[in-house]
Amino acid sequence: MVAVGTRLHRLNSKLLTIRNGPGAAILPPDVTRIHMEFAMRMNDGHMGPRKFWRDNLPRLKFWNPAVPMIVNRVKDQSRPATMSIYIRDADANADAPLSTPTPNSSTVGHSTAPPPAKGERVEVIPMKDMHSDTILASFISKTKAVPVLPTSQEQIQMDELESLRQQAEVDRARVRKKVEAAKKEAAMMAAARDEAASLKAAM
Amino acid sequence: MASTTQCLASLARLSLRVPARPMAISTIPNFLLPSVATPLVRYASKKSSGGNNNMRKRVVKKKKAYKTFRSYDMTNMDQYSLCDAMRYLRAFEVGSPPTSVKYEVAVKLKTQKNGPVLRNRIRLPFPVKTDTRIAVICPEDSPLALEAQQLGAVAVGEESLFEAIRQGNIQFNKLICHKESEAALKKANVGKLLGPKGLMPSAKTKTLTTDLKGTMQEMIGADEFRERNGVVRLAIGQLGFTPQMLSDNLKAFMGQVKTDMNQIDDSHVKLLDEVVLSSTSGPGFSLNGKLNPSGESLKIEDLESVM
Repeated sequence: MVAVGTRLHRLNSKLLTIRNGPGAAILPPDVTRIHMEFAMRMNDGHMGPRKFWRDNLPRLKFWNPAVPMIVNRVKDQSRPATMSIYIRDADANADAPLSTPTPNSSTVGHSTAPPPAKGERVEVIPMKDMHSDTILASFISKTKAVPVLPTSQEQIQMDELESLRQQAEVDRARVRKKVEAAKKEAAMMAAARDEAASLKAAM
Repeated sequence: MASTTQCLASLARLSLRVPARPMAISTIPNFLLPSVATPLVRYASKKSSGGNNNMRKRVVKKKKAYKTFRSYDMTNMDQYSLCDAMRYLRAFEVGSPPTSVKYEVAVKLKTQKNGPVLRNRIRLPFPVKTDTRIAVICPEDSPLALEAQQLGAVAVGEESLFEAIRQGNIQFNKLICHKESEAALKKANVGKLLGPKGLMPSAKTKTLTTDLKGTMQEMIGADEFRERNGVVRLAIGQLGFTPQMLSDNLKAFMGQVKTDMNQIDDSHVKLLDEVVLSSTSGPGFSLNGKLNPSGESLKIEDLESVM
């Protein structure tokens, strides 16, 4: 198995990015479930929803582990891309189980959006041709979710990671230069050696 | 009296200053010539005057060969309770179908590199895979064949089954052979086809048996595990499992691994080093053996919702 230090470093940077960033927000308790439906590939305006699912939804899921977040992907690119947010009515009983079942996520289009349960209403965001940032903004305004800000300790860790990343770029450029110089010299030497050999053969 | 030969020799050397072999007149510039072609000029240095220091060979240190797999100090490693790890993994896997995405466990052992390895089958309380298709090699149209079919075998027989295997028509992913058909199996010469797929029945893998019912029941929902490079890996649950289900599976698996470790002879001691939980496309979390979440913000029920 990979050494402990390497694993720890990689894991911590991954966990830091899943706890913080766009999408890290706590939903109010009246949001019961979220359903997204979009196509398998990015063509025809399905890139935004896909990026939202990949980049923002994990953070939302981390901060709201109890809220089902269902992704239904379909083969047909021409289908609309929609997000349904299920919100419990103010007067409904919060502890009662939902009267319509929530399907599992699906990659073959089997989990269509369930009809709203009793005492539940649905807010719909048409996501086609929308950027993932726009989807997130309208999601937050519709649900009134509270964004989570990094703690001071996390901010320090994030700054450290960022400075590491910048230093890595500098180092990468330096090493690339070195490697290229070495390769160039090796090529020149090889060419000269070939020429010397051919001269020797001619003599 | 000093001899004159020495003096003459030095004089002769003076006259030989011209290179013994004329240089090749090349059209390429001097700096491009390979180092072999350029005359090497060496100067006596202080270092070499004492002895032939610069002729000393550099000693290449021999790498130490370790007899055990490397084991790390775990004091600085963050370890997570099962629920905390599940919360992160469920976030990483959000939106993927919960039956096809699996939780995986890697059990690292403190063990020697050579010697016996752990290898066994386990029937988990909550089966992870449900697509086991078993074929049984037993005499055709015998009561055994009937029994196997009743138990849910997808293919039964001797020569008919061998013929299907030879034609590449393998509709099963597990193969059992009854002891009565052992000779027929050996004669059939299908080892080359079955071996690479890991399907060849043998007593070692407990697939050469007299008790069809027991073996088949154990196989349906039974998962094989094996130690490789000091680590035992196994898919331990589906993403849709609740913390309690996953914990039950983990306990059963760890119990099995521990019994197997104790059964190995005393000259090859194996000890438990680390247990890491990951998922199909999530990172690995080192577990601390606890179930309950560490913080107040998470409850076990939160992880029981639909994915």
